[in-house]
Amino acid sequence: MIDPIWPLLGLTLSAGAILLLQDWRFTFPALLLNYLSLTVFLGQRLFTADQPLDYWTNSTIIAVKLMTGIAVTAILTITALMFSQDFGLEELDEFGLAELRRAARAAQRLRASRPFRLSDYTIPFWALLLALLATFALVSIYPVATSPLVDFAWYWLGLTGLFTLAVAADLRKVGLGLLLCLSSIDLLYTAVVNAPNASGVGVMALALLSFLTLSLALAVAYLSALLYDRLKTLELSELYNQRT
Amino acid sequence: MLYLLFILFPISMAATCFVLRKYTELIIVAAVGTIFTQAFFLAQIPLDDLTRILGIILSLNALNRLFIFLFLSIGALAFIVSWHLPHGENFIPVTLLMLALNCTILLLQDPFLQLLLLLSASLTAVLAMVDLPTGAGALVGTRVIATAIKYLILMIIAGMLIYLSFVLMDIYQPGETRGQFPLTRFILALLTTGFALRFALIPFQTWLNDLVEDGSPMVTALVISIFQITSLFVLVLALQRFPTILIENPFGLTLLRIGGIVTSVSAGLLTLSQASLRRTLAYLLIYNSGMVFYGLVSISEIGLMGAMFELFNQTLAIMLLFVSLALLEFPDGRAPGIERHDLLRRWPVAGLGFISGGLALLGLPPFSGYASKMLIYQEAAQRSWLEFLPLLLATALAGLGLARICQQKLLGASATDDDLLGTRQTALVFQELLPPTESLAERNLKAEPTSTAILTLLLLGACLVIGLYPQPLLAMISDVIQSLTFVQAL
Repeated sequence: MIDPIWPLLGLTLSAGAILLLQDWRFTFPALLLNYLSLTVFLGQRLFTADQPLDYWTNSTIIAVKLMTGIAVTAILTITALMFSQDFGLEELDEFGLAELRRAARAAQRLRASRPFRLSDYTIPFWALLLALLATFALVSIYPVATSPLVDFAWYWLGLTGLFTLAVAADLRKVGLGLLLCLSSIDLLYTAVVNAPNASGVGVMALALLSFLTLSLALAVAYLSALLYDRLKTLELSELYNQRT
Repeated sequence: MLYLLFILFPISMAATCFVLRKYTELIIVAAVGTIFTQAFFLAQIPLDDLTRILGIILSLNALNRLFIFLFLSIGALAFIVSWHLPHGENFIPVTLLMLALNCTILLLQDPFLQLLLLLSASLTAVLAMVDLPTGAGALVGTRVIATAIKYLILMIIAGMLIYLSFVLMDIYQPGETRGQFPLTRFILALLTTGFALRFALIPFQTWLNDLVEDGSPMVTALVISIFQITSLFVLVLALQRFPTILIENPFGLTLLRIGGIVTSVSAGLLTLSQASLRRTLAYLLIYNSGMVFYGLVSISEIGLMGAMFELFNQTLAIMLLFVSLALLEFPDGRAPGIERHDLLRRWPVAGLGFISGGLALLGLPPFSGYASKMLIYQEAAQRSWLEFLPLLLATALAGLGLARICQQKLLGASATDDDLLGTRQTALVFQELLPPTESLAERNLKAEPTSTAILTLLLLGACLVIGLYPQPLLAMISDVIQSLTFVQAL
């Protein structure tokens, strides 16, 4: 059996990378690593529980979580790769086309005027540090699960998710923050409600959690595509500058 | 079998309507047919009969059935309205899906499943928000996208908080404390924040403001009315399963009642400073959310009855207000871009509908909302004058806000010379585009779309009938409230 520290380390590092980094080429693989670590961590918890479920139920839960993670990453990656193509231009009138050209020029200017700066990482770095401190504090002040490792994992995922939302500059990052939040409650439910003093996990609830995660990834992908079609960028600052 | 049919049939019809979405009239007919079929299935389902399907317990009681009928009715109304007032290309399939999910939530008995379905339904609502009519040669507005993103984020955060509270309820052991705070207090705080986000209570109201201001009218009406009802049912079921959080937190409940009062008074005050119909409407809805929340957290028979009945009345009033709003914003052939003050003269049915809907929301007789508001006032008066008077003040402020906006936009003088000049200039510029048989005068005298005007009058009639004769509904709600154990426990 794998030592639970390793998947926990994977969870911690990947969620931290999602909060800290900005380029989707790094954050999306980090998301995949996060889901893989979550699956291994939960698998380890489920098979070593005081009152373990039967082998097939555990295996199914783990397989569903794994497939969900892979599907979510695939949805977001494919959407990011498709941004270079334009769709539905033939339905637009002259005003719409002119607006698109204007948006493309503005996005181009924005990209040109923003080279890599280390200062862009200052706020995410302090947010990361704050999330880490808060997680350690909450694990000791307000333990929910019987194991401190589970408490650390779900608090960390939830807090990094919330901080990612707070520091997000583009819609992709917002989506990643929301997915981390969902992972947090998914972990909490699967690990804690399965405890001897709780009602036990419901297969339908787990299925719905996975369905919800996939739907959220699809909604984020759809909104990202819509925003990119409109502004040629996913920057939220541009969205709020050009609110029409 | 009936349950399965009831849940899966509208989902399959939503998929069919999505495939045929370019044929707007055809799918409207199909969607209205689906609603009638659903109503038939619903009437066949026996009451208070627990059924287990795939390990999930489903049940239907009289109150749930009443609200599901209400959902189906307003769904059908929204489809008929979309015949004349164009909505998004995917409006029909997404609405069918939303209705299916929300009706299923009312049948479920497991709070985890209810919440997950509620979140899924909120995601489908996001798709409806960013939709454009078939063949629209325009781009989706950036304001609409911003609204949808904000709604998505806040609903997921709300869901996360509520889910966490449900997990904590599940593992709670009596007398247990974790850390430095009693667990029940923590659960109540999480639950309240989550539902305050969903009910758009101040200071969590921003999504509702943006949605009312930027969303298309029918989508907004459905999202606000249906989701508030299902949220309330999820909350009531959670309290029913775990009354301990109420019993052990009397001070917390007082704070929550104050929260409801603050929301109502603040929103009433803010209606006075709004410059548009939509913004005023948004604050009227927030005012009403505060009133409903006050009734709910009073955890008494009268307060809960008032809150539930008010949600029923609010749904009718919201539909009336948004159908009227859609008509008031309908292009009327006059020059665009000029602020109008005579909308009641121009669109008499829509203007009347808007004013009546506003009055129903305020709970003024003889409209619906009167009886439910009286119950909420009665509950407040029984507790303390310090709770009753602010609620009355909130209603007075909201009423003044409504009167102010009606005076500015609806009851003003007819078109001015400036308007006519604008019309003539527009006519001169576009003269060649007008068909030879259509004169300018005819364009100015375009009447309200008949079907939508009839629907507005029907909704107005329903508001009046329920306002004048609320007893049957009240009796039904009272029976269900009396069976709630957490009310008896307190």
